[in-house]
Parts: sequence; C-alpha cells; structure tokens
Amino acid sequence: MAEHVVKRGLDIPIKGRASGEIISLESPASIAYAPTEFRGITPRLAVRKGDEIKQGQSLFFSKSNPDLVFRSPIAGNVTEVRRGARRVITDLVVEATDSQEVETLTSHSLDGLKSVSRADAVAAMLASGHWCAIRTRPLDNIADAEVMPQSILIGGMETGPAQPLATELMSADDADALQAAVYALKACTDGKVFLTERSAGGHPALSKIDGVERHTFSGPHPAGDPGVQVNLIDPPRGVNVVWTIRAWDAVALGRTLLSGAFDGTRVYAAVGAGVKAPRLVKTVIGAPLTSLVGDTVEGNLRWIVGSVLTGTTSEPGRWAGYYARTVHVLVDEYKRELMSWALPSLGQWSFYRSFVSGFSKATREYDLRTGLHGGRRAIVPIGAYPKVVPTPDIMPQFLFKSILANDLEESIQLGMLDITFEEAALCTFICPSKTEFGVILRDGLNFYEKEA
Amino acid sequence: MRDSIERLFDSLRPNFEKDGKLEYFYPAFEGMETALLTVGHRTQADAHVRDPLDMKRMMIFVLYALIPCILMGWYNAGNQAYLSEGVQAAPLDALIRGGWAMLPTILMSYTAGGIAELIFCFVRKHEINEGFLVTAMLFPLTLPPTIPLWMTGAGIIFGVVIGKEVFGGVGMNILNPALTARAFVFFTYPAYISGAKVWDAGGSDIFATPDALVDGYTGATPLLAAASAPAGSDPVAAITAAGWSFKDLVLGLHPGSMGETSTVVIAIGAAFLIFVGIASWRTMVGGVVGLLATTFLFNMIAGPESNPMMLLPPHYHLVMGSFAFGIVFMATDPVSSSATPVGKIIYGFFIGVLCALIRVVNPAYPEGMMLAILFMNVFAPLIDYVIVKRSTARRAKRLAAV
Repeated sequence: MAEHVVKRGLDIPIKGRASGEIISLESPASIAYAPTEFRGITPRLAVRKGDEIKQGQSLFFSKSNPDLVFRSPIAGNVTEVRRGARRVITDLVVEATDSQEVETLTSHSLDGLKSVSRADAVAAMLASGHWCAIRTRPLDNIADAEVMPQSILIGGMETGPAQPLATELMSADDADALQAAVYALKACTDGKVFLTERSAGGHPALSKIDGVERHTFSGPHPAGDPGVQVNLIDPPRGVNVVWTIRAWDAVALGRTLLSGAFDGTRVYAAVGAGVKAPRLVKTVIGAPLTSLVGDTVEGNLRWIVGSVLTGTTSEPGRWAGYYARTVHVLVDEYKRELMSWALPSLGQWSFYRSFVSGFSKATREYDLRTGLHGGRRAIVPIGAYPKVVPTPDIMPQFLFKSILANDLEESIQLGMLDITFEEAALCTFICPSKTEFGVILRDGLNFYEKEA
Repeated sequence: MRDSIERLFDSLRPNFEKDGKLEYFYPAFEGMETALLTVGHRTQADAHVRDPLDMKRMMIFVLYALIPCILMGWYNAGNQAYLSEGVQAAPLDALIRGGWAMLPTILMSYTAGGIAELIFCFVRKHEINEGFLVTAMLFPLTLPPTIPLWMTGAGIIFGVVIGKEVFGGVGMNILNPALTARAFVFFTYPAYISGAKVWDAGGSDIFATPDALVDGYTGATPLLAAASAPAGSDPVAAITAAGWSFKDLVLGLHPGSMGETSTVVIAIGAAFLIFVGIASWRTMVGGVVGLLATTFLFNMIAGPESNPMMLLPPHYHLVMGSFAFGIVFMATDPVSSSATPVGKIIYGFFIGVLCALIRVVNPAYPEGMMLAILFMNVFAPLIDYVIVKRSTARRAKRLAAV
C-alpha cells in the first residue's frame, strides 16, 4: 500500500452537492444511450426503430469489434434514433413497456473467475455490456481488447466539484461484485491491478478486495481522477497503455458477470444551485434528466451532464449518460457588476489572492454561475497553471502553446498524452485570460489520432 | 445606477456592433463599457464556471502596488526642485510643485499611449489590452521630472507600437513596453534623461539656467556622485559629501527618476505584489542575489587605483539608482520575463549581474538597470527553452519503455 499526497489542484466549492438518502426511481418511462460519448467507437445499430427489446438486449455494437456491445437497461420499444450533424447518432431512445423479459447472459462464479483465462475474461466482459467502462490512458478511449495493458487501475474515489462520493455510489454489499470484476480484469494484464481510494476512511466494499495493489490519495481535485492517478502510480511507458475503470462501474460489471443478467442500475446525483432539492437517485443507465432532477428553480438554466469542469451541456428533454454520475443544473445567468475590478468583492470565491477568499480554503459553498468574468486575452503567465496540474513534469503553458502551433512532436514531448481533461479544465477555470484549454487539448488529441 | 448604466450601454451597443454605423470604433466602446461594468459574456465551453480574476483586475492590482511609488515620486519631484533653489519646503508646497512636474507627464503618457493603443485596436480589431494601463504608468515613473512632455508622448507611442503592438499586443511582446519606451527616449534624447541637471523640476529650461542651482546642490544622482569620484577614492565618502547617508538613500529623498528613488516604498509595492501573487518573488530574489554577489566580487578584486564603483559596497548598489524599481516592477513583467519557475531565478540573477557590470565596468552609463532588463528580456525565451528541454528529457527518461 502506498500513500500519495497530492499538493497541486483545486477544490471548487460550488453550491448544490447532493447528500442524504438515495431516492429510488427504478423504472423511468424511457432511457437513451448517446453513442457519441464513447470515445474511439463507431457505433453500429443492432436494433431498428420500432423493435421490441428485452432488458439486457444489445442495442448497438462497435464497428471494429462486434463483440463489444451496449445493452439496454430496460425492456421496451426502440422509439427513436436521433441523429445530429453528419448523421451521427446522438440519442438512441428506448421507451419502457410492461414487458419483463430479460436477456440471459452466461453467469460466472467468483471461484471460476479467480482462475479465468484472458480470452474467457475478455469475452465475458465484452458480452457484459460494461466493457465501455474500461478506458485507456492515454487518450481516454474505450479499451482495445486485443491490446495487453501495462497495468489496470480501478479508481475508487471521486474529488470533482459536487460529485457524489464513493460511499454514495457503492455499499459494503458490492464487495463480491467488485471482486468478480477485479479477477476478470486481472486476467487481462501481465502487470498489476491497482485499487485507489481516499486516504481518510477506507470504503467497506474496497477494504477486503483480493489481488490488487492498494494506493491511497489525499489532496484537492483532481487527486481522485483515474488519469492523474495513473500518472502518479504507473504512467504508461513507450507505446503501452494503462486501462482505467471506476470502482462503481466495475461493480456493475461484476454484478453482470456473477448474475448472468445485465445490471443496468445506476445511482445519479442531481446537483447544482438550479436544483431545488439536490438528491441522489437510484435508477437505470441513461434515465431522463427531468426525472432525476425533479423541481428546478426559476430562471435561465444550463443542464450539464457530468461536472461543471468537464461535463457537456445537455437539455431537459435528454437523458443522462453512461459515464457521468451527475446532472449539474447551473443558473445560466450573470449579473454584470459595476467596477468590480476595483472592489474587494468579498462575496466572490477565487483561486487567486487578489480576492480575499483566495487566502484560505473555502469555508462555505458558493453559487458560482456561468459568467466568463472577463474578456479573452493572450496568455499573461503569472505561474498559476502548474499549481493545479499534479501530473509530474508538465508545463501547461508551453504544452498548450505547442498544441496550438500544431507541433505534434513537441506537444507529445511536453505531455499532451499525459495531461488529463480534468487538469486542463482546472487550468481553464483559473485562467485570467479566459483561454479554453480543454478545447485546445481535445483538438490536439483529435489531430494526433488523425495523424497517427 | 448600475441598471441605468447597463441600459445606456445596451442602447448604444447596436451602433458599434457588426454592421452598425460606428462598428470601426467597437474597441473604444467595449473598453469604456467593460471599465464600468464587468464583461457580460457567459461560458460557451467547459469549464462551465470560471474564476473571477481577469486581466483588468490583475493589471489594476499592479497599479495599486505602484501607488506608494507615485506618491513618493510626486513629493520628491517638488522637494528636489525646492532643494535646488536652496529652500527647505513644507511637504504641501513640495507636493504642489511636484504635481506640476509629475502629473502632466503621467497624463501625457496615458493620452499619447492611449491614442496609439486605440488606433491599433481599431485597425487590428482587438479589444483594448489592459496591460497598457500599467505600461503607461511605469514609463513616466522612469523619467526625470524635467522631461519635456513631447518626449514623454513620443516615448510612450514608441513603446506601445514597437514594444508591443507590432508583436500582436500584450502577451506576445518580447520586450517590456515601458522599458522600450524609456530606451527610446534614453538613446534619442540622452541630454534630457541623464547627467546631473535633469533631476530637479526647478527651471523651465534646464540648459538655459545652469547657474540657478545653489551652492552645495549638484543635482547629481547618488550613482553619478559615486561614479564621478576620483579613481581609488572611497565612493561612500563621495556620496556622504554629496549629502546622503545610507538611510537617506533608502528613504529616497534624492535626485533621480520619479518613481525609482525610494527603496522603502518600492519594497512596499513588492510586498503587495508578492502577497497577492501577481509578481514573482523568484525574479526579485534572483536579481538581488545577482547584484549583491557581483558587486561583492568587484569589492574583492578592487585595487588601490581602481574605478570608485568597484569599491562601492553591495548594499549601496541595492538602494541606489533604478535597481529596486526595475527588479520589482519591470523585470517581473510576466510576459517579457522567463515563464518557468527556475528560469525566473536565472533570469533575475543575470539582470542583477548585468546591472552591476554596467554600473561598475561600463564607463559610459552610471546606471545599467534598463539595459540589463531589456537584454535579459531578449534572453528569457532561451532560458525557458533550456528549462523546457530539461523537463522533457526528464519526462522522457521517466516514461521510457523498460
């Protein structure tokens, strides 16, 4: 067991964290997958509009690997295939019916999985419908089953703004399911399987897991990001990749492996100042956003699937995604202030010490809104970016400039493949020039994948 | 009040936006609007929320740090003018007279520089760079109080255009624009910015009335006094003879450029800038160490017949001339300085070294801070290049395939 104390980073004290009892909402009227969120996959539909489907039936699969399937968490009818620009499928909608039919998959025993071969483990996990939870560092693509990863990291903590904690997403009962997933994952690599968790207070489901190397992390966000943890524990060497999976996604994978039925249950958190009563909701993958959020406050709102740092803008008529565990409803308004550059602005929260709040850790939560708080400018580097980037030997300013210059070789040397989106988003958050580093990084990685 | 201002700008905006009658002047409108009201834009991409610090606040904080220097320079300009006439003036009188010397210079700097900045904003269609607010204040503080107004204007225009705008504005420039402006004036009109006669705000024409100076008031800066002492003599004695103790030099009631004389008020500004995290302490510490180390070395190797500056103790160097002002406000300019933490120390260190070299070894100029900073501005990208290469090499080694 190794302890990591992350010094660089930033916790954004945004208002509207959900806590308390988990509300049960087992059967929403509809669900949808958004295939665009699965990086590195070209979807091929396995169903057509109007088809009647069983719970756990395959909805679509990867063009490059037909065994990599995505399963429906509910039984019902495929009612709509929404397409966006260039006929990319944006939403694949299934409406629930009274049907209780369940597709049966192969079930496995814990003992059987303990000694499973790589081929069997891969086949079982691909068929489980949860393979997409395994992603690679670098690039955050869905793992390629043919590739032997250098190691696998199971991330058992979350530090993002207003994100639910591991204790809210998993319970002590999930230990067996997680153990099943660990055995299956372990069969996929010659290297180690790492399990990470918060330094303060281990999770009951994580404490007894066998066959993993434990690492604990403390410190501000992005200490809980699996990509950052990979960089600190076992960064990918040469052309190697490291697989990452969130512990709660591994639980769903493990449950499916053990039971032989697709586990589509999911806990989402409806958070943010736009939600009247922030809450945790137990429902199924891809539930409608409105059903998760409940009542909202008056005014112009922005619905974000994921966190305010890296989440994507959605709208009330759409559905929650596979990866995100939050719907963040932000008040999308900004009241312009008179001469604020000259005021002490005591009520404002800032990373910087030119605001009073910059001197100490936040003691309360702030109703942060969508104001850009300034005009776009060229970068005037006052040495702040490295303070939120815990990945070692990254110089964000030079890295992003080389990406902007389309200098692939230099950007890779400077760590374009290592820096995580969470880190880029934190750089964006604190940038006084209002530069959008996440956009720059995404463009850089897309350019890299096109060229490579 | 706030609402009526917002309504006013909202009603005027269509004229300045695309296809409006005054579209060309949008940057001026935008500048005025966002000076009064914060920028109204909302985030379009992730991250969806942002830190409230922007370039306006950052630059205004540098101006806050300059306030003690401005007040001190204001007073001292008047004080020196009276002293040159043999009068011990009351503080209020000194302030009034100093105001007449200093305020028009500052006003000129903002006006002429502002016009140059605006013209570029119109032509290049970019918003006003707030960095100009700092540049236009730093520049007059590096000038003697007797500088003709038109020279201030010509200098700041050169600084804004050649020092900054031709590269694309704040953030793209290689040299510090305020020092570029000063260097322009320094080399174009040397008689008005160096020597012994330019530092008091007394006479209207400094060259017409050289005899107006009373006995015992030479008008020379302490650096000039020390540098013009006979070879082999004690420079401290020369400074004392000119009427200043070490304490006087620290307080700064002696002739010099308007903002540079008082180490105390500069230190207050430095403390503030470091406190709010806008200027780098690394550059400052590097500079102080570089200057002290080099001058100490000169002290060691000085012979009996050597140049008096060789013998000047290191701590005197620290409080004389424009070293303190330069290292705190000019060298720390985040754009023209080195951008890596280690690079900042090296960059600062060599500014200190070069400043000492020019002061001591170069016979032409008693002061070397401006040239030292400009020289290191040019070398800052090279320092960064080396540091970045070392870092990428370390990464490559760490991540090499086993």
